[in-house]
Amino acid sequence: MTISQPSTSAKPWDTPDAVPFMQIKNITKKFGSVSAVENVSLDVYKGEIFCLLGGSGCGKSTLLRMLSGFEVPTSGQIIIDGEDQAGVAPYDRQTNMMFQSYALFPHMTVEKNIAYGLKRDGLPRREIATRVTEMLSLVQMDGFATRKPHQLSGGQRQRVALARSLVKKPKLLMLDEPLGALDKKLREETQFELIKIQESLGVTFVVVTHDQEEAMTLSSRIGVMNRGEIVQVGTPHEIYEFPRNRFVADFIGSVNLFEGRIKEDGENHVVIASPEAGTDIYVPYAVSGVEGQQIAIAVRPEKMEISKAPLDDMRNTVSGTVDEIAYMGNVSVYHVLLDSGKRVRVSQSNRTRSNEDAPTYGDRVNLGWAGRAGVVVTA
Amino acid sequence: MGQQSRFLKIVALLGFVFLYAPIVSLVIFSFNESKLVTVWGGFSTKWYAELFRDPQILEAAWVSIKIALISATIAVVIGTVGSFVLIRFKKFRSKGLLSMMITAPLVMPEVIIGLSLLLLFVAMQGVIGWPGGRGMMTIIIAHSTFGAAYAAVVIQSRLVDMDLSIEEAAQDLGAKPVRVFFDVTLPVIAPALLSGWLLVFTLSLDDLVIASFVSGPGASTLPMVVFSKVRLGVSPDVNALATIIIGIVSLGIIAAALQISRSKKHGAER
Repeated sequence: MTISQPSTSAKPWDTPDAVPFMQIKNITKKFGSVSAVENVSLDVYKGEIFCLLGGSGCGKSTLLRMLSGFEVPTSGQIIIDGEDQAGVAPYDRQTNMMFQSYALFPHMTVEKNIAYGLKRDGLPRREIATRVTEMLSLVQMDGFATRKPHQLSGGQRQRVALARSLVKKPKLLMLDEPLGALDKKLREETQFELIKIQESLGVTFVVVTHDQEEAMTLSSRIGVMNRGEIVQVGTPHEIYEFPRNRFVADFIGSVNLFEGRIKEDGENHVVIASPEAGTDIYVPYAVSGVEGQQIAIAVRPEKMEISKAPLDDMRNTVSGTVDEIAYMGNVSVYHVLLDSGKRVRVSQSNRTRSNEDAPTYGDRVNLGWAGRAGVVVTA
Repeated sequence: MGQQSRFLKIVALLGFVFLYAPIVSLVIFSFNESKLVTVWGGFSTKWYAELFRDPQILEAAWVSIKIALISATIAVVIGTVGSFVLIRFKKFRSKGLLSMMITAPLVMPEVIIGLSLLLLFVAMQGVIGWPGGRGMMTIIIAHSTFGAAYAAVVIQSRLVDMDLSIEEAAQDLGAKPVRVFFDVTLPVIAPALLSGWLLVFTLSLDDLVIASFVSGPGASTLPMVVFSKVRLGVSPDVNALATIIIGIVSLGIIAAALQISRSKKHGAER
């Protein structure tokens, strides 16, 4: 799902002496006695598309509003390109924001909307005109300059909003659910365009989204947020394949979590006794933990095999009966009821057009996964 | 279905007749040749000519229009400020009270508004010497006061609907708050300001009760003159005058309605 991005392939976040472009240091925001953002620290590097991902009310929008200056942090520090942003008003910040509702000025034409920020900077009229034209062609909206926002479709408004927020060449562009209002097809196309535009301009993006697919596609790195805290920061691949805790594993994609206790803590393997799975689960790598510790193993539905025949070549197997099948075209998702009463989701890609051997409702099936397919989550 | 729709048509027709028959007959009789109001004596526009030769009426009309223009403008300014405080400010202790007070004139009987303002003006004159006597100034103050309530209602509904992120976007693009107000907020709520203004203008032009209480010698508004003329017997030139007023008021109301529906459509499409 992730697109490799040349501009970020250097991975500055793995380079010890790389200087972050934006630093958030121990930011807390309280509304009354409730903290919306709790002690968040974060480094974002130049040229990144950094996604803040989380459900509604997790504090991601509040964090974004603090970056743009619309909310004042209760404590902590925000540094953008070496400058402390404390006390800097939104209209003095060299960052721009693309709003979720697009927030186009309804009484101005597309052209005037885009030119607004440049006019505030007192640029000469000719330069404004050139830059507006440039932006319009960048977002492929030439020919719409004299339209009013209410004469545009949702996708077109999104483009105008993007152009307006980019025209001042901000150091940092914040995007609040940039694709949230578009339908699925348009959203997918626009994701790639957004990446292209970001690469061509080299602007650092901070994107807020609740849509994990959007985050996976767009971002160089993702910060998963829950209850005002950042629970994990990593590349889409790290977040998906190596979730650090149950929340991340569950929030990103779908996952089967088998709760259990460490039964055998070996040098280079662990065995987990899981009553939920109805068997012992073997993990071929060492885990920091003690025997008897409560632990869970997360296995993605697509990393499991489902078969009516025994799966002898698999390290871990469980069995149950097929309860539900969701045929989605490219994949079929099976809900399997294990003997312990636990429901497990298994997805199989439909490589052939019809499969006579495919399990069906009520079939007794075996599920199996390789030792390394599961991830141990302790928190 | 045919049966039912015919019934509906009849009911609608009766409703319109009930509402508009008096007005239509008034308009028709304003073109009456005869001096007798109730007897048709042929078509004529002589009562209109008569009207424009009557200095008392012309003066009153001019007074009324001046009062309406000024008090509508003041009312819209006060209404805008009040609406802003109520909609945009964070909750403060007396907010509920203010919200009630600002809309109170909508439901208060006019007689009471008029009487209380009269008492206030008299007391103020006694204590601080202003306003010196009653006249146009006091009517303007009175009309601005109750007009502000109507203006506030119209403007508030627009402010509530307004997407705050538009203002934030302007700030984000480098506009200071005052600039944001004039560049973004004002144009966006302008339709509401205009319809509020038109509403107060017509209300002020209409008002008889409050004006009668707070006016003094030399400041008779048009409704006051009409009322005193009618008491001496209805003369046909009053019909002509009424027709003109109806024309102006309905133009104002149609314009206000168009503004409101246009701004609603705009809002929905945004």
